[in-house]
Amino acid sequence: MVERRLMPVPDRDSAPYWVALAKGALELQHCRECGHWTWPPRPVCSGCQGERLEWQPVRGTGEVYSWVVAHRAYTPELAAIVPYTIALVRIDEQADIYIPGRLTSDVEVYRGLRVRVAPERLTDEIGELNWTAIPKGRP
Amino acid sequence: MGERRFPRGQAAIAGIGCTEFSRDSGVTTFALAIRAVKAAIRDAGLQLRDIDGFATYGTNDSIKPNVLAQSLGIQNMSWYLDQFYGGSVSLSVLGQAALAVSAGVADCIVCYRALNGRSEIRMNGSNMSVQRPPWDMQFKVRSGYIMPALEIAMAARAHMLRFGTRSEDLGRIAVLSRRHAVDNERAMMRQPITLDDYLASPWIAEPFRKLDCCLETDGAVAVVVTSAERAKNLAHRAVLVQGAAWGGGINLVNNGYADYADSPAKPIAERVYRAAGVGPGDIDFAELYDCFTYNVLSQIEGYGFCEAGGVPAMLSDGVFDRATGSLPLNTHGGLLSEGYIHGMNHVYEAVQQIRGEADHRQVKKHDVALVTGQLGYISGYSCAVILAGA
Repeated sequence: MVERRLMPVPDRDSAPYWVALAKGALELQHCRECGHWTWPPRPVCSGCQGERLEWQPVRGTGEVYSWVVAHRAYTPELAAIVPYTIALVRIDEQADIYIPGRLTSDVEVYRGLRVRVAPERLTDEIGELNWTAIPKGRP
Repeated sequence: MGERRFPRGQAAIAGIGCTEFSRDSGVTTFALAIRAVKAAIRDAGLQLRDIDGFATYGTNDSIKPNVLAQSLGIQNMSWYLDQFYGGSVSLSVLGQAALAVSAGVADCIVCYRALNGRSEIRMNGSNMSVQRPPWDMQFKVRSGYIMPALEIAMAARAHMLRFGTRSEDLGRIAVLSRRHAVDNERAMMRQPITLDDYLASPWIAEPFRKLDCCLETDGAVAVVVTSAERAKNLAHRAVLVQGAAWGGGINLVNNGYADYADSPAKPIAERVYRAAGVGPGDIDFAELYDCFTYNVLSQIEGYGFCEAGGVPAMLSDGVFDRATGSLPLNTHGGLLSEGYIHGMNHVYEAVQQIRGEADHRQVKKHDVALVTGQLGYISGYSCAVILAGA
């Protein structure tokens, strides 16, 4: 049984993003015109405002830019995981994309900590984006 | 296209009203709104029949202008505004009411905010509806990234990493707010606190402690906006809306935003000063939106009172102290200690101060006030007004 934590509600722009996460991949919209990456998913490129976007996988790695530790469960469902850390991660492909997600590794957090996306399948349509620390010395 | 300009000083706040601020009002937001609205109209020396517009904001958690107007016997409401979102639009509502009376499409507009923010729909997110959440919520909800405290703390951390800002600096803002609330009869929190109390308070959204966070409050505030000309013949010193600005902040969509440590208040600051024709040096006192301590710090930078990183020294020097400082700040104790009426209580306090009716809280120089809304995080909206005594 899926635990009763709040589920994302995908829309027609974001559905492929959530399906990719369900399959274990981080895919973002890539612009065929200017080559810019866009996140969160939307109908228009964040670089050139064009509309010729296609879904492509990214490496799924990045660096922690900032982080917070939640010590209170704002819903009963979150009580099982407090305290939990949310990392704001700047992905390697593009410096202006910051993706927040739970950092599931039990490590000391600092700016620049290398992380990798670790999606978890919730349903066929929705995966959860988590971040895990990359052990030192690994790419 | 000519230069954009705000109808400077053409509209004024003529009346203010509020309810008790509490943890459990025991009544509906409808009843709270009625009480505050009637009090504001009475304070202005006006009658219900003088009112032809209402403006409010919120997150589907309060009584609507149409219901309020009809209930008060106002059958021909000529203007209204019901804006979604919270403190990031608190003063866009006031600014737009000022535009409406300046343009002559309404005579007297009551701006109000009524909420049972503690006893009914709490602001910490625990009662957040999943039916129609804001667009960006799908990218936060599963990570447990919903509480506003978490998102603002993320920016506070970025500021700490860049400027060496410490917990103690945020703590001094909490202590300052509490000191200003101690002798405020409206305030919910009147027990003095020390920096040690702050440092001992439990983590909520690390690096935020409990005392970094504002209160959750039941209550309502209303203000009457009319033309400056009409206000000058009413009961009190007219409080002119010298300038207002509302618009962009930063949210998840904001690609290209390089550093969360930069104050997102800067663009609104430039515009509100230009609208009012004043600068930071002309501000006598400020009521800055303080859902969390860090918001205050970032706005002091963003509104041009110091260079980035300069706030800790100003706090140590007592610059923001109500009685002796050169820039008295959150003279009522703010959202942190007076109560959380989503920023409308900042307007109430500023008007009392400008009129010279703040009693033992009265600041010495009280002609020009900067009042701000949430500085632009989360929703991607921000707002501010500059008020001046006629």
